[in-house]
Amino acid sequence: MKTDFTEVQRSNPLMQMMEENLRKCVHCGFCLPSCPTYSVLGDERESPRGRIYLIKDMLESRDAPNTETVSHVDSCLSCLACVSACPSGVDYQHYIDYARSYIEDHHQRPWFERFLRSLIVYIITHARFFRFVLRMARFAKPLSRFFSSKIFSVINMVPAELKVEKITNTAKIFPAKGLKIKRVSLLMGCAQNVLRPSINEATIRLLTRMNMEVVVTEGVGCCGALNHHIGKDSIARDLAKTNIDAWLTEFDQRGIDNIIVNAAGCGTEIKDYAYMFKDDLEYNEKAKKISNLTKDISELLSEHQLPSVSLSNQPNIIYHDACSLMYGQGITREPREHLKAVGFELTEIPGRHFCCGSAGSYNLLQPAMAETLKDRRLTLIDKVSKSNRASILATGNIGCLMQLASGTGLQVVHTVELLDWATGGLKPPN
Amino acid sequence: MSKRLIPHNKKEVLDIVRGVVNDEKSIEIIGAGSKRGWGRPNKTSALVDLSKISAITLYEPQELVMTAGGGTPIEDIQAILSENQQQLAFEPPDLSILYGGIKGAGTLGGIISTNLSGPRRIQSGAARDFCLGFDAISGRGEEFKSGGRVVKNVTGFDLAKLLSGSFGTLAIMVSITIKVLPKPEKTRTALVFGLDDKQGIQALSETFQGPFEVNAAAHLPADIATNSLIPLLNNRTLSVTAVRFQGPATSVCARCQGVKALWQSYGEVKELHGCNSASLWNEIGNVGSLLNGQTDQIWRISVPPSEGANLVAKIKSVVQCKTYFDWGGGLIWLAADGKLTEVGMAIRSVLGSIGGHATLMRGSAELRLTSDVFQPQTPVLSRLTRSIKDNFDPTHVLNPSRMYEGI
Amino acid sequence: MRMPIPDANIIAQRSEIIERLQQIVPRGEFGDSVIIDSAGLRAYECDGLSAYRQLPLIVVLPETTAQISRILTFCNEIGVKIVARGAGTSLSGGALPLADAVMLGLGKFNKILNIDYANRAVITQPGVTNLSISEAVSDADFYYAPDPSSQIVCSIGGNVAENSGGVHCLKYGLTTNNLLGLEMVLMNGDIIKLGGKYLGSEGYDLLGIISGSEGLLGVITEVTLRILKKPETARAMLIGFNNAALAGDCVATIIGSGIIPGGMEMMDKLAIEATEEFVHAGYPSNVETLLIVELDGPVVEVSDLIARVQNIANGLGSNYIRVSKNEAEREIFWAGRKAAFPAIGRITPDYYCVDGTIPRARLPEVLIKINEMSQKYKLRVANVFHAGDGNLHPLIMYDANELGELERAEEFGREILLLCVDVGGVLTGEHGVGVEKRDLMEKVFTEEDLKQQQRLKCAFDPNGLLNPGKVFPTLHRCAELGRVHVHHGETSFSDIPRF
Repeated sequence: MKTDFTEVQRSNPLMQMMEENLRKCVHCGFCLPSCPTYSVLGDERESPRGRIYLIKDMLESRDAPNTETVSHVDSCLSCLACVSACPSGVDYQHYIDYARSYIEDHHQRPWFERFLRSLIVYIITHARFFRFVLRMARFAKPLSRFFSSKIFSVINMVPAELKVEKITNTAKIFPAKGLKIKRVSLLMGCAQNVLRPSINEATIRLLTRMNMEVVVTEGVGCCGALNHHIGKDSIARDLAKTNIDAWLTEFDQRGIDNIIVNAAGCGTEIKDYAYMFKDDLEYNEKAKKISNLTKDISELLSEHQLPSVSLSNQPNIIYHDACSLMYGQGITREPREHLKAVGFELTEIPGRHFCCGSAGSYNLLQPAMAETLKDRRLTLIDKVSKSNRASILATGNIGCLMQLASGTGLQVVHTVELLDWATGGLKPPN
Repeated sequence: MSKRLIPHNKKEVLDIVRGVVNDEKSIEIIGAGSKRGWGRPNKTSALVDLSKISAITLYEPQELVMTAGGGTPIEDIQAILSENQQQLAFEPPDLSILYGGIKGAGTLGGIISTNLSGPRRIQSGAARDFCLGFDAISGRGEEFKSGGRVVKNVTGFDLAKLLSGSFGTLAIMVSITIKVLPKPEKTRTALVFGLDDKQGIQALSETFQGPFEVNAAAHLPADIATNSLIPLLNNRTLSVTAVRFQGPATSVCARCQGVKALWQSYGEVKELHGCNSASLWNEIGNVGSLLNGQTDQIWRISVPPSEGANLVAKIKSVVQCKTYFDWGGGLIWLAADGKLTEVGMAIRSVLGSIGGHATLMRGSAELRLTSDVFQPQTPVLSRLTRSIKDNFDPTHVLNPSRMYEGI
Repeated sequence: MRMPIPDANIIAQRSEIIERLQQIVPRGEFGDSVIIDSAGLRAYECDGLSAYRQLPLIVVLPETTAQISRILTFCNEIGVKIVARGAGTSLSGGALPLADAVMLGLGKFNKILNIDYANRAVITQPGVTNLSISEAVSDADFYYAPDPSSQIVCSIGGNVAENSGGVHCLKYGLTTNNLLGLEMVLMNGDIIKLGGKYLGSEGYDLLGIISGSEGLLGVITEVTLRILKKPETARAMLIGFNNAALAGDCVATIIGSGIIPGGMEMMDKLAIEATEEFVHAGYPSNVETLLIVELDGPVVEVSDLIARVQNIANGLGSNYIRVSKNEAEREIFWAGRKAAFPAIGRITPDYYCVDGTIPRARLPEVLIKINEMSQKYKLRVANVFHAGDGNLHPLIMYDANELGELERAEEFGREILLLCVDVGGVLTGEHGVGVEKRDLMEKVFTEEDLKQQQRLKCAFDPNGLLNPGKVFPTLHRCAELGRVHVHHGETSFSDIPRF
């Protein structure tokens, strides 16, 4: 595609990346049918190809972004389905990330929106505050109709009952049950540890049974993805740096074989640290190292033999691919293989895969679209569950889990919880 | 008897049309004149006979393409194709028994202009699907061409489709290019006896739901099957349901066996080979020997296949008639007493609720004037039809009113 | 590209037009369906032929046939032009906007309305993608046969408008051969229905002329398609040759021996390399030309035909033959071919896709000449070719940021197309004339030919408001075209009686 950037713009490495991507796009439209928002709205502006165009126009004109463009960039889920669909090799992931940070820098949102965006991300990524807000929100639930739709959606996401975490509250090192074969650092995740601590617990139980020592590295916090995806790049980079430093310290002082992530959205982000810092002289090597050490839990499990199966009469389950796992990390085969290996009967959701609408903080910031996508996904899921009497829906990301659980009667769990349960661990909580 | 003009080339056709336009007269266009009974009777000043524009000017078997004059006898075309193991895949029927003409008569132009297609229509498409291009003289006395000699061609509007089935009301095709296809190595037909219309069509439908690649599918009720010249059909008073397989020998045998097994539960199953198989499908396509009432009016009705039996039952409840089904139940041939005037009305009132169209294929001149020969059109469609006619033939010199009054 | 001069009078009425359109298509839950801001319009400025761009006057995204009818009635009354757009994948600029035209986006017409296995038909809205039709009926082992390479994204309405082909049309035909019925809105707002779940149509074959009419005759709002049972088996073969002429001979021999493969495609070395990088189909790297031949049908038939094709290929000195062992492998053989165009985007910033058809036998000489032109224009070209039906797709690689390269690529493309016509072929096999080949129409058709085509246009859209500037180099006024020309001196049949 023809581009029209100034030499000054071209001297900026990020802008160079943007131009390179634009040049690759041949406007073929292969990305359109993969895009959840396009599939709902049928509007070019709500498609990857349309957004590429809108962003190109925004960058080339060098004007302040107009609100229409901003709204179409905001409505992108960053599910990355389009990246896999693109034959020309356009790196939409980093293209849209840059556009978001550009908008953040060059566009003034109304104060209430600014406040809300910051607040939502702050709350989710700060466990203590999050817990507090959730408790408050439970009381607010009956009053939620008095709030704006965005606040309403936050409150509605609150689980009816908050679990008080057990083991992970205190201990930081979980020794291997037998002879240690590996030492791994587990990312606890910010929202995940508050909303469903059982995922981390199941992970720790399973890995320690598989003779791995699991550590929770001091100083590691939020991965930065939520901030990154709403264009707050500098916050994201700061969070990433903190994590990189903490893990490197762990690596250098005590040694770790891998960093293990069981929240796919975080995994995608950490694996992308290498890219995030590729032009940073101080951090590029460090970030590369951390990204290379990072594995999704399912990747790690594929390298080892799962413990023997102790469960019988495993229920039928349905597996939902988290976009961050499927597109972000290209992992589809492994979780299915593991679930089958421990005796679960697996059913596929028919039709084309689409995002469930969770997408980080998307369901809070774009509740209407998120709700539509959730309904679409659940309509298909419910249809399958009826035909094969599946009672459990498994997925690999906390966001998808909460999103889907809020609209179905099925029990929604993390894959690792099922693997733990089937091999001698605990039954996943409802 | 109107004057008969016999042009020998494009230039002479052009002169004729220009003369007629200038003189505000009209002409009927014929090839062999074998299907003149199809359409509304029209009065014209002269008959233009294209039988001398009959050369095959291009035939490249490896390219699957042939160009011939509009008046080229279809028998000539079939003969040369046959020498090269090729054929017209749309299987144009020979309507000579129906219209009482010379056996095998008909021209390429006539077949394309009437979009005449036989039993293989369901798999291979209609005549219009094989017409790649043409040279023609419009009703304005202007020479024009469209299409080409290659199958894949979207260069401009597909006027070849428009002229196919336009009954010579828009232009005179002097040269036509068609796509031809290899002849199948082997043919076989599977039969099952004794099914009623509904069961018969159901049995046909099942073959389409399986991997049998049936390329013709018909159901003949007992009173029709008995008119067949094939002993296996006429020596018993049972309906017959038939599907045809064509292709490489091993494949044909396997598919035929497959359908016979599928049909086992329906009744007695038989197969036809070689000559008998060919004769059966000729009889079905050619109509005249199966619906052999000399003075009957004959209708051709196209409907969604699943509605065929239902439609016939409804029509039979108001009109006495004989019918049989081709195209898997989607094409109904119907014969009724030629003197009855209400048949068309009855058919079309039933059709109205399910969708489809009916054509009076044969009937007295009077009947063809009083009943709509072609399916009546909605006002919007009618306006569009008139507008197309006016744009190609503004003074209505070509086959005026052959399809619709005033078209 | 020279386009009709925008009507200043219409542009001046923009705000009134917007107001009326907003009344017809009100704002929905997710925002406005009438797009008026320049950034939003920018997203619609081009289709798959991105070399040509133009901001539309307004974009409207209706959801119902009734809305389209009201929009067209209104636009017809005040003389506003309409450009319809499906998925925006035309490679000939068929959906290129006009500065004074309302662009009618059909993206919201994205539902399949009825699947009828008994009658082997599907009724669908026009914005549904080609592939979705096959996906929707795949559980019952049916499929929709025409499969343009862009089938994953291109819409059925667009397929009808362009009469799209695909890699399987050698055996199963183009869109026009698989179309049973349509609902369409005419420029005056009239809604017509043609055909249905039955074969043939009443009166003139309007279904036939609407197929491939490139949005000049009406706006398609509903489509009835024929679906087919999937063949019992389908296997694809990769056959490599050291030169294109041998591959050409192979194609001719296969067809000459009476075999009509489900698909027969050819790719040259550059195309093989580019697609291999995207799909990793395992295409051979040591061949100059690769044929993909697919044979489908009953298992016994396919094995028999594969053996025959293998014999033919071996006899002609093929240096690589591989037969797909399973469905996954067959699909990946095709995946490369189907993504061939955009995959070229990996090795060049821009490409220009040519679409001529030639008689098959002329292939070797045409390829040699294309290579000569490539030297002359100093632009690389990759060749992808529907070998079975002679439809050639040279992909000319250029860089739009380099001054003059686009013009050189266009000139190169024109020369290829004229060569196609010279050897007995045509300008476009399946991508349509659009704006891209519009000015070449006069090279193949006489003025009379073109006038006759435009008279058909006059029957549907006498004011010439639907997609003007496409297909025809000059649009004559219908009044002028309608005049009956008196041919002097030709009254040779004055003795025949009048009625």
